[in-house]
Amino acid sequence: MSVGAPGLLAQEERYERDFAAGMERSPWQLFWRRLRSDRVAMVALAVIVMLVLVALLAPLVVKLAGAPGPNVQDRNATDMFGTPIGPTADHWFGVDPLGRDVFARTVYGARVSLLVGIVGTGIAVLVGVTVGLVAGYYRGWVDTLLSRFVDVMLSFPVLLLGIGIASACSLGNGCVSGAITPGVRTVILVIALVTWTSIARVVRGQVLSLREREFVVAARSLGASNRRIVVHEILPNLTAPLIVYSSLLLPQTILLEAALSFLGVGVSPPTASWGWMIADASDNFDTQWWYMVFPGAALLLTVLAFNLLGDGLRDALDPRAER
Amino acid sequence: MAAYVLRRVLWGLVLLVLVSLLTFVVFYVLPSADPAQLRAGRNASPATLAQIRENLGLDRPMTAQYWTFLSQLAFHANLGYSYFSQASVGSLLVDRLPATISLTLGAIVIWVLVAVPLGVVAATRRGTWVDKLTTGGALLGISAPVYWLGLVALYLFADDIGIWPLFPGAGSYVPFTDDPWQWFTSLILPWIVLASTFTAVYARLLRGNMIEVLSEDYVRTARAKGLSERRVVWRHGLRAAVTPLVTLAGLDIGLLLGGAVLTEAVFGIPGIGQLNYQAIVHADYPLIQGTVLLAACFVIVANIFVDVAYAYLDPRVRTS
Amino acid sequence: MPRPVKRALPLFALCAAVLALGACGSSNNDSGAGATVDNGAGGQRGGTLTLLTSQDIQSLDPGITYGSLDLNLLSSAVRTLYAYAPDNPTDIQPDLAASPPQVSPDGKTLTVRIRSGVRFGPPVNREVTSRDVKYAIERGFNPNVANPYASTYYGDVVGAARATGGPIAGIKTPDDQTIVFELTRPTASLLAQATVLPLSAPVPPEYAKPFDAKSPSTYGNHLVSSGPYMIPADRDGDVLGNGYVPGRSLRLVRNPNWSAATDDRPAYLNEVDFRIGGSTTVSGRQVLAGDGLVLGDSPTPPLVKKAYQTARDQIFFSPGAGSRYAALNTAIPPFDDANLRKAVAAALDREQMRRIRGGKIVGDIASHFLYPGVLGFEEAGGLEGTGVDFLANPEGDRALAERYMRAAGYADGRYTGDETLQVVGLAGAPDSNDAQILDQTLQDLGFKTQLKLVDVSVMYGRFCGVPRARVHVCPNLGWIRDFADPQTVLNPAFNGEFIFPENNPNWPQLNDPAINRAMARAELTVGDQARADAWGAIDRQVTATGAAIPWLYDRQPNVFSADVRCVPELWNQGHCDLAYTSLK
Repeated sequence: MSVGAPGLLAQEERYERDFAAGMERSPWQLFWRRLRSDRVAMVALAVIVMLVLVALLAPLVVKLAGAPGPNVQDRNATDMFGTPIGPTADHWFGVDPLGRDVFARTVYGARVSLLVGIVGTGIAVLVGVTVGLVAGYYRGWVDTLLSRFVDVMLSFPVLLLGIGIASACSLGNGCVSGAITPGVRTVILVIALVTWTSIARVVRGQVLSLREREFVVAARSLGASNRRIVVHEILPNLTAPLIVYSSLLLPQTILLEAALSFLGVGVSPPTASWGWMIADASDNFDTQWWYMVFPGAALLLTVLAFNLLGDGLRDALDPRAER
Repeated sequence: MAAYVLRRVLWGLVLLVLVSLLTFVVFYVLPSADPAQLRAGRNASPATLAQIRENLGLDRPMTAQYWTFLSQLAFHANLGYSYFSQASVGSLLVDRLPATISLTLGAIVIWVLVAVPLGVVAATRRGTWVDKLTTGGALLGISAPVYWLGLVALYLFADDIGIWPLFPGAGSYVPFTDDPWQWFTSLILPWIVLASTFTAVYARLLRGNMIEVLSEDYVRTARAKGLSERRVVWRHGLRAAVTPLVTLAGLDIGLLLGGAVLTEAVFGIPGIGQLNYQAIVHADYPLIQGTVLLAACFVIVANIFVDVAYAYLDPRVRTS
Repeated sequence: MPRPVKRALPLFALCAAVLALGACGSSNNDSGAGATVDNGAGGQRGGTLTLLTSQDIQSLDPGITYGSLDLNLLSSAVRTLYAYAPDNPTDIQPDLAASPPQVSPDGKTLTVRIRSGVRFGPPVNREVTSRDVKYAIERGFNPNVANPYASTYYGDVVGAARATGGPIAGIKTPDDQTIVFELTRPTASLLAQATVLPLSAPVPPEYAKPFDAKSPSTYGNHLVSSGPYMIPADRDGDVLGNGYVPGRSLRLVRNPNWSAATDDRPAYLNEVDFRIGGSTTVSGRQVLAGDGLVLGDSPTPPLVKKAYQTARDQIFFSPGAGSRYAALNTAIPPFDDANLRKAVAAALDREQMRRIRGGKIVGDIASHFLYPGVLGFEEAGGLEGTGVDFLANPEGDRALAERYMRAAGYADGRYTGDETLQVVGLAGAPDSNDAQILDQTLQDLGFKTQLKLVDVSVMYGRFCGVPRARVHVCPNLGWIRDFADPQTVLNPAFNGEFIFPENNPNWPQLNDPAINRAMARAELTVGDQARADAWGAIDRQVTATGAAIPWLYDRQPNVFSADVRCVPELWNQGHCDLAYTSLK
């Protein structure tokens, strides 16, 4: 599914107009103002900050809650048939079939989701921007080659490609002669590999229109080198759309990681991952609902918060589409 | 126009070849299991294994193997045989396709029927509770993982384990030809679940587009001319707002026809997505190649359709 | 054969079993633990049984297949020279054969007389002769068929060593009803036992040769029946798209050419439908609540619990179904150190391993490798164990584990070395959970681990069965008997002679010269009690090395609907025997 970022360059015009009118507020200040006044986005931001804190301080959180670690198998928490117990005072979210505390695992699961999401998106953006910039600015055969390559990748069913690479790299001793070992690193790489193409396409489109703008043409006629133009003129104008796009891409990558874990090709056990926990639960959720509901709710909350923030960012950067 | 179509179709074919090459690299060069082992069964002597490798052509250089595959496909329409079940890949695909198509078409119907009115209404009644509800619901829809929604739906409504048993549970899918009623009822929950994500996205998108369009000058002119609000919204507004959605829908349909792995997994629907996933797990390369190519085919065809439709509507595009 | 997970998957071959078996140990369940053994007498004719299974049949070709569900299917479609009755997994009965096997005094010749009046199903239709059995065995050596146990069991036949699918001189057919095997070693009784495996099921050469010329052979999809049931096929015998849709369904219908007079099987059912591909959990629920259904998979622990508590006569626990153990790679550090191995064994909570599979009802805690029903089980210590300290406490003994760690040179009782252990287990509950328990145990001892959970064929074919892969621990291994003879359980699994670069059955790569010598001697021992003593002693020796940690003697649960009178195959994991089962 694609995401558009229409009219962000209207920002530029607004700036010029305001500047000419003597109101010398920088676009960034305006942006912050608008964002701050968006209550929903602020709440979402708070939730995200809290999630990040929880993820960073997971051991502390778990200890404060009085729960055992995420990999501690409590053999007294399963009955004689191996059925795990549900939420109790000792285990707020119940336990999974191995007797591991679901609360602790949900908290630690945040680490994986956020780490993979943020780093994966980061790498995807980096690669995508580079490719998009080069293709859009230099045009010619470089553009053709890169664009065609992106076309090929985009024709590939994304999830299947992810599954394929993940399972190929998880087995054996990793890919690229062991440089990529199974585990979180593999998943980050797979996700980045699979998502950079959409960014590349968007960036290329933006660069294509940017390079014809007056200030770029002016800079070129002044004799500025290509590199200078790219770094000083084009990149800054990409920041706004990139922020928006990244913030909308992030929840997608978090969902993608969870999907890969759900299918069993994500992070390897016993690392707690929300997708893995939901998959584990899918066999028994009719009688053991707790380890499906809690990780699922956590996932929903996280993704929702990022989506809301992304919406808020986009609205703040482009007030034309007012709510 | 014809020239444009031809160019697009040719490029589509090239894309397919490239996709097959990419598949070859990902699923064959980065191997997850030795097909000769799988074929040979256990306790085969090294001599037998070598013989099987030779029979399968596994000892030939990669390029030769890839060429064999391509020529078989191009000249004999032969997609090879599954390592796991020795059935022809083509027959397996044909067997699974109806389930995927059933799932996709039903979901599309639902999401169009729901997303369009919701998007329009939310746009026209901006700020009211209808709008807020729609936007909120849409946000939930795009934030919840589809398999989790599926599990929750089963937990609530499946007739074997649900709290309010209304619909058949997972694993109850039968082909249309076997029992049309069962086919229909077993697909209701999967349709709703699969459609939910898309509905959410499209409703939001449509709402956003509609808002923009409705503030355009020509719409104001239409209103000033005295056209009823209804006409303004549905005839003029919607038509403009919906175009980007149509292209998106085309692409998404193409994607879904390649198999909705997660939904099929949760509801136990024997479709292309499941087939592909099983193939990957078993390192069944010919089957992987076949399912991926099929999925890519759908995506590429959808892309071509969309591009051609655009070109038809906007002649400037043809020269690009 | 090695333990499969979902049972319809390929397994390793076993080495020679020898001689007649003694009483195979009691086949009683605890009273009150589920349905009881049945011989099927007096069942009602008619009806259709539906079998739900998540995994597809591996192959219909009797020369290839080796999984327990496949054996279950084939046992009703083809007839081997000898076979087990469902309620007697000890004594072989003549099936295609007309009389007990005749072994020459020197033990090098086996003569079998074949019944007359047994006919192939359509499209071959003619009477079965000894030449069909001869061809069936010869084709096992054809690389296009690549039978997993042909060279092991039939390897002693004269001419078999160089066979590649062509005629084998040592198999003679003096007339249509007689087949004679001439051997290079005195193992004719062993060979008689081996004929219970599907390879000896007759295959018509004039019909099958064209299929066997293809690589791989396509005879499986053109299977001709010799038993009471067949798979519907077209005029050329092709079952694909007719009776068999791979990954989806398979049908068994009555073989019109089967004659009840030539067979002990009652064959009550009119039809058996396999529905392939559903999830075990969902299918399990359907089976318990529905009619005419049987679950082909191993039921999940919650299902076992539910059936045990609410529908006890719908679940059968098949005793002597096999053993489960975790192998530690003795060929590479750190588990080349016996003290470290014993530390891990002492630390493992085997009760917990069992509990997450369903608890006490699914089996007994194992303390050595021969299991109940196998000759030599009692001699090796029975359920009490061999007496080694590191397996004395089923819940594990941390203090003892730490002592062993210190003996290995780690003063704190925790591992401080550099190795990161590669642990490869099976995906899918409950096996994945067992793997995680062992993984956690290793981590608690200070080891760094990397756990991979994979498909069963990948686990054997790429990791645990391949020494080159340098896997340190394989938690989900095990062994299922083909015969009640202990040699088949211990020899390929722990004899240094059996370490191969691929398809290695000696997963721990144990290569102890004293044990190897003892096994070589025990192979030639004659007489039940003598063999029980010899192999029991070897079991004790192997257990003492700590090369593998035994943890469960399975009682395989089987689940079926209330109206199904299931006759469990005690020789095959308790699957309902399709030719004896009936509907109430």
